[in-house]
Parts: sequence; structure tokens; C-alpha cells
Amino acid sequence: MSTTTNGANLTLAPSIQVRNLSYTYPGSSEPALSDVTLEIADGEFVLVAGPSGAGKSTLLRCLNGLVPHFTGGTVQGDISVGEHDPVDEGPQTLSRVVGFVFQDPEAQFVVDRVEDEIAFALENAAVPPTEMRLRVEEVLHLLDLAPLRDRQLDTLSGGEKQKVAIAAALALRPQILALDEPTSQLDPQSAEDVLQALVRLNHDMGLTIVLAEHRLERVLPYVDRLIYLSDPDHHVLSAPPREVLKQVELTPPLVELGKGLGWDPLPLTVKEGRRFASRARRRRQDFIHGTRGGNGGARADKAAPTSAVGRPELDRDGAFTIENLHFAYNGKPILQGVDVQIAPGELVALMGRNGSGKTTLLKCVVGLLKPERGRIKMNGGSLVGQRTAEISKKVGYLPQEPSDLLFADSVGEELAITLRNHDLLDRPPIAPDDLLARLDLGNLKASYPRDLSAGQRQRVALGAVTVTKPRLLLLDEPTRGLDYRAKRELVDLLREWQAEGASILLVTHDVELVAQAADRVMLLSQGEIIADAAPEVLTTSPLFAPQVARLFPGTDWLTAEDALEGLEA
Amino acid sequence: MLDARVWLLWALTTLVAASSTRSPLYVIVLLLTTTVVGGTCATGEGRRAPLSPLRFAVVAVPLSALFNGLTVHFGDTVLFHLPSWLPLLGGAITLEALAFGALNGLTLTVIFSAFSVFNQVTPVRDLIQLTPRAFHEGGVVLSIALTFIPQTTRSLKRIREAQAVRGHRVEGIRDWLPIVVPLLVSGLERAMGLAEAMVARGYGAVTDEDHPLRTQGLLALGLLALLAGWLTYLFRAAWRISAVVTMAAGAGIIGLALWLTGRRVQHTVYRARSWTSGDTLTVLGCALTLTVALTQRETLYYSPYPQLSLPPFDPLVGTALLGLLVPAIVTVAKEDRGPDARGTQQAEALDEAP
Repeated sequence: MSTTTNGANLTLAPSIQVRNLSYTYPGSSEPALSDVTLEIADGEFVLVAGPSGAGKSTLLRCLNGLVPHFTGGTVQGDISVGEHDPVDEGPQTLSRVVGFVFQDPEAQFVVDRVEDEIAFALENAAVPPTEMRLRVEEVLHLLDLAPLRDRQLDTLSGGEKQKVAIAAALALRPQILALDEPTSQLDPQSAEDVLQALVRLNHDMGLTIVLAEHRLERVLPYVDRLIYLSDPDHHVLSAPPREVLKQVELTPPLVELGKGLGWDPLPLTVKEGRRFASRARRRRQDFIHGTRGGNGGARADKAAPTSAVGRPELDRDGAFTIENLHFAYNGKPILQGVDVQIAPGELVALMGRNGSGKTTLLKCVVGLLKPERGRIKMNGGSLVGQRTAEISKKVGYLPQEPSDLLFADSVGEELAITLRNHDLLDRPPIAPDDLLARLDLGNLKASYPRDLSAGQRQRVALGAVTVTKPRLLLLDEPTRGLDYRAKRELVDLLREWQAEGASILLVTHDVELVAQAADRVMLLSQGEIIADAAPEVLTTSPLFAPQVARLFPGTDWLTAEDALEGLEA
Repeated sequence: MLDARVWLLWALTTLVAASSTRSPLYVIVLLLTTTVVGGTCATGEGRRAPLSPLRFAVVAVPLSALFNGLTVHFGDTVLFHLPSWLPLLGGAITLEALAFGALNGLTLTVIFSAFSVFNQVTPVRDLIQLTPRAFHEGGVVLSIALTFIPQTTRSLKRIREAQAVRGHRVEGIRDWLPIVVPLLVSGLERAMGLAEAMVARGYGAVTDEDHPLRTQGLLALGLLALLAGWLTYLFRAAWRISAVVTMAAGAGIIGLALWLTGRRVQHTVYRARSWTSGDTLTVLGCALTLTVALTQRETLYYSPYPQLSLPPFDPLVGTALLGLLVPAIVTVAKEDRGPDARGTQQAEALDEAP
């Protein structure tokens, strides 16, 4: 049974009305949406949130009729979008009312140039050429794409591509824009660019925006309403963000902290939080003075070598070292004298902007790319010159796209294939069933991997590269597209592996993940390591500081737990 | 930028010219021409070529020389003999056969280079416009296929790497299974995603006007006339003129049917490209080259058999082949006249750069 709490903007005419909507995919026994009732007013900016599998994408696809016209399945209840009924009229008719933007911009492009892609829908709608020119110019300027109009799509950055996808959806002049996790594939800067463009469209054009997103901290400052779909009971909360966040367990660190300290109203931005933070700091002035400049306080206690998970003493001699690594592509230097040292049981986060060389570094380690010069050693033995297949026995590498690894008919078979590749099927270093249980995949052993959720697929891929029990783990953007729960589970798993002595090199843009999990942070810029320090180095970085660090400058607190412990000390 | 039809004419003219000669000097002129045109017109903003002509030549020329050298045992300059019991390969290996094979490889490189330039300079949308209106949907499918090629190439690389990091080695055909399966599955997933995105953008919302019976009837009638004329031409020598007339009538009826079908297609064109003086000059250049290629076959002819000799070269014919250089000249002249819209944007971008 769904609950609806109507909040702001009820004076405006509702542009979307959903009444007791239930939907079941074909062949599924469980409904993806169950008895959902909600309203969205004209001109609202609405965030649809909730764990993976809660039905966010399904709800969005109901708005333009892709569900059920494209997917099949059974719909019950009513949905109206303006004067239209998406279930009756279908997505092609609704395309004039609801623009739709998908997660991966590349997957929705039909042609190869920016301007042509925007005009494609108009050409097929037989819009007269003079009007078409006008509409294309409009959206090019609305989204600041005019300088890119002649560019090939594959030469654009991720954020630019997503803006082109938005422009293409807007060319038909819809009144509503629905976006399904449009920033999940983007780095923070590109995500911010896309969100700013959406805010502009909402404020200046009065466009109704319905956005599904996992990373709430990115979007909350801009939204009027939060629709939270919770799994498995499909309980729906629809109200202004603060009201909903009070009732939701997994929230951004800032909100988590606000809830922990009883801040009211709950802050959604760091700016809003500072008012409460300064009061809290005044009350704990002595404590904060005591921790400033040193490694004392809550964070230092947490980072101690023997933590709650029993992390061993770090061996600074280094089980894994990279020395003076150079790599160039087509004569252009990508890595320039990179040095890395990771001790057993240490988790090092490698951060940097897109194109700084992070993935290249990982690929050099596993032998997918051949460095120009430099040494890569593990336990004293060189990895340079060894075949990738040989290196992968000792080094587990999880690439950005876990689906690329998965091709077997079952989760269990995925692990068996890796063991067979290494001739270890008869004597596996870890019992595959134990590993699956540890990855929380025990009951999914017979499932088809590609049918699983993003977080589950991530864990299957992780199992496939760690079943040889590698001593070094390289993870490339492992939290992309994961919800808060999946992220937390991943962090717990990494901590367990650390406790057993595995070294982990984590490439990520996710500053909150680094704040939670890393022992050390390295910043890579233009192929050079420009910082190598404890995670507290992030507290002073305007680009990489997590929410809590920005809230309490001058402390070494990175996570909500740090701040709660510190303030309560 | 030239019209896509003009670029297609340019590529086809290069194909005809390259097919008309095996003289290394003329082939080199053509190769230089396509290289210059590619270097001038196919700048960074076009589609990337999947394989550079140089890399193609490195593979095609030696392979072609080897194949011809091993299978054609003709020519006066015998290098060595392979045992005669070797089927196909046994016999004299001659310098002439190797040279002719290498020339074939070079000719293939010219053709590859020309179509590589065509691929890079013609936006996908212009390719869709190249298809007759009656085949508009086919044109869209073609464009999607073209954009899928680079995406699939990237996926293949990613998947090969992903399988390698779990210890997979490609040593036999069966070892490709872990690469091909995810490639196919991800391709299908991408196709479904694209179909969904196109539907969400209203593709197919505007239905074409429907009068299928008349057009289908005309098409059937045209095909029937074409077939009847062709059979008559083959088996009734006395009625050949009537046969040709029937075939022409059939072709005309088919053309009419396609035109009527095209009129039903509800589709407009964004910024239809206007014909420029550059287009006219390029057509004239192609016409010059095409005329020479079709009429000067004896001058263009060269064969290294039976004994390798210096190839002849007629400067007039060589100059006529340079008609294919017109696109490069037009582009350079346009750039010299001053920055166009794109040039202005690039200048702005440079100004903003730190």
C-alpha cells in the first residue's frame, strides 16, 4: 500500500497525476511498481530516489508510455500527463510532451554530429525546415552547446554528450523532461555541469523536471520534491525533500549528520549546514582546538592501524611498488614518473580529473598497456613484461564496466571460468561458494549474471577477479551507478579483505567513498602524482573535500561518523 | 564542405581510375591525390578512419604480392622454383608475378584510401540524405550501422581486456567465445536501448500516407516489364530493339513507383545543403578524370608480364588524373578566403584557452 504526502506547489496545476499505479514486467511474478499514487505540479523539479530495483526507471518510463508500450507487461491504475494518457497513447505521441534522457548518452545517439543529432527527431516529425532551424538554435543556446554544434559526438566529454542528449530531447519542445540517472556515468565536474543546465531549464523555462538519481548529495540542493521508492514493499514517499529524508535510512553524509545531531530543518547544502555546524562547534570549541593541526580526534582513532575490523600494522616496506613509471600514447605523455607504494592491508585511493591517467596506470600494472619505462614490483618480483593472464593470478583488476567480464550462464560459472583459465579449478585458493556467500551472492549462484542489479553485477565481477585470492586489488570506479546500500556493502567487503592483508588501489571520483574507506590518498594530475598523503589532505581541497570536511573546516573529520564522534567526545 | 553526392562521385571516379590502370606511376599519382585530399579535407572533426591507408598498404601490398607470386607462375625473371607436386603453388616464382601482385595491392590501397576519405568527410546525416526518399528507413538503418561500428570496436577492445584480466588467453577459435558472447549481448542491449531512445524521441510517430496498392502494382508491373525485356533480349535476337524499349519502360515504371513511395514519406530536411561553386568544380574535375580513365585505356595500360619493364607515363594523362585534387584545392581556397563559422568558433576557442 502506498502512502502519499503531498507537499509543496499544490497551488500549481498538477502536470502529472498517478493513481494507484501498479506494473508488472512480462514473465515476472513480482510487481515493479505497486499501488503508486503521486502528483507532480507544473514547473516542479522532482527527484526520484530509492535503492536499486525499487522501480525508479520503471516509474519514469510510465510517464512517456515506454512502459508498457515498449516493454510489454501488465498495468493497473491510472496515469495522466497533462491532457494525455501515456498508457493509451504510447511513447511516440507522448514524445511531444515528455522528453526522455537515458543513463548512457552514447546509447541514444543515432547520427554523429551535435547539430544533426538534435535535428534528427525534428526531421522525423516532419517539422518545417524554418521552424526546425529556430528550435535547434534555441536548444543549442539553452544548453550552451552552440560552440560545439559542428563537433563529432565521439569527440565530446561525457558531460557534453549528456547535454546533447538533453538538447535532442528538448528539440520537440516537451513540457516535461524525464531523466534516468543522467549523471551516473559522469565525473563530478561533468555531473555538476549537467545539473546546472537542468536547473537553468527549470528556473528559466519553467520546464517540469523528473530526475532519477542515486547520488542525492549532488541533486538535493536543487529539487522541490523528493519521491522515494523503497524496495521491497514499494512504499512511496512524495513530499518536499526534508520531510522525506527524515523517514529514509540511507542518506548523504550531510543529512545523516543533521539527523544524528537533530538539526531542524535538515540541511540539504553545506551552506545550510554551516549555520548548525558553527553552533555545534562553538559548543565543542575546546575539543576542536584540541584536534586542529594534528592527527588527534575521532579520525585519528579510526585510522589507527588496528581498527575495529582488525586491520594489521601497515608494512611500509611495501608489498607493491611502482617506480618512475612513464607511458605515452601516440607520442603524448600520459604518465610521467609515477611512484606508488602500497603496503599489505592498505587501501590507497587514486583520484584526479578525467584524463589524468588513472585508468592508464591500472592498465600498465596488469600488463594491458606496456609502459615506456619504470618498474612495477610485487613482493620484490617485477610485473613488467609478464603476460596479463599471468599477472591476473596475483593482481585482481575490476574494470569500470563490470558487464564486460560477464558472459557465463550463471554466477557460479563466472567464478569457475576464472579458475579454469588459471588451471585452479581443482585447487581453488578460495572455495567459490565461500566467496559467493561473502559477496552476498550465495542465493544467486544459479542466476544469469546480466539479469542482476548494478550492485549485484559489480559483486559478481569482483568475485570473478578475486577468486584466485590476489594479494593486490585494483578497482576502477567501483561505485559508479551503485546506491548507498551497495556502496556501504562494498566498503565493508574491502575492509574485510584489507584485514586479511590484501593491498587495494582504488580509482574513484567518489570523495565520500574515499573519506569512508581510504588509508591514503594520491592525486594524479597530467600523469604526475601531485599529492600522496592521509585522507585528511582532502579536507583542504576545494575540489575533493567531502561534505563533512567542508562543513567543519579546520578539523580532520571526513565522514558523518567522524563528526558525530568528534562532537560527542 | 562539399555535397555528399559530390563526394560519392569523387570516390567512385577514383575507383574507376584506379581500376583502369596497373601502371605504378599512375597508381602512385592517384594514391598521392587521395592522400592530399584526405589530409586537407578529412580533418579532426570528421569520423575517424578505422584503419589508416598506410597501415592498409603495409598489409595489402605484401600479401597481394605473395599471393600472386605463389599462384601465378608466369614471367621471364624466375627467382626460384617450388616443387611441382605442390598444388597451385608448385612452379616458377617470378619477379613479374610478385610485381603484379604488389601493384594490385597498391591499387586496392588507392580504393581503400578514397572510400576512407569519403567515410570521414561525409556526416552520417548526409549519408541518410543520399538514400532515395523511398528508402528513408533503410538510410536510417545504414546510419545506425555506421555509428555502431566504432562503438562495437570500442566494446571489443574493452571486453578483450576484461577477459584477459581474468586469465583468458586467445589461442584458438574456441577461445573467442568469452569475447564474442559479451560483445553480441552488449550489442543487442545497445540496439534495444537505441530503439527505446528513438521511440521516446517520437521516431515513427508521423506515419506515412498510405496508398500501397497503386505503388505496389506499379512496382510489380515495372519488374515484370524489366524481366520480359531481358528474357526477350536474351532469347529473341530479332526483337532486341523492342526488348530494350520494354526494359527502359520497366525501369521507368519502377522509378515512378519509387518516386510515388518517396512522396509518401513524411520527412523534412534540416539545413538542406545548397550547391556551391566548389561542388561544380569538383564535378568538373571528376568528369575530366573519368573521361581520361574511360577513353585512354591503352595509355593507362601497363603489365609487368612477360618481363618487368619501365612503365610509360603520359604527362597529359597524369595531369588529367589530378582532376581528383579539386576538393583539396577548393578547401584550401576556402580557408584562405577567411574563417568560416567553424573557423571563427575555433578562433574563439583558442582565445579562451589559457
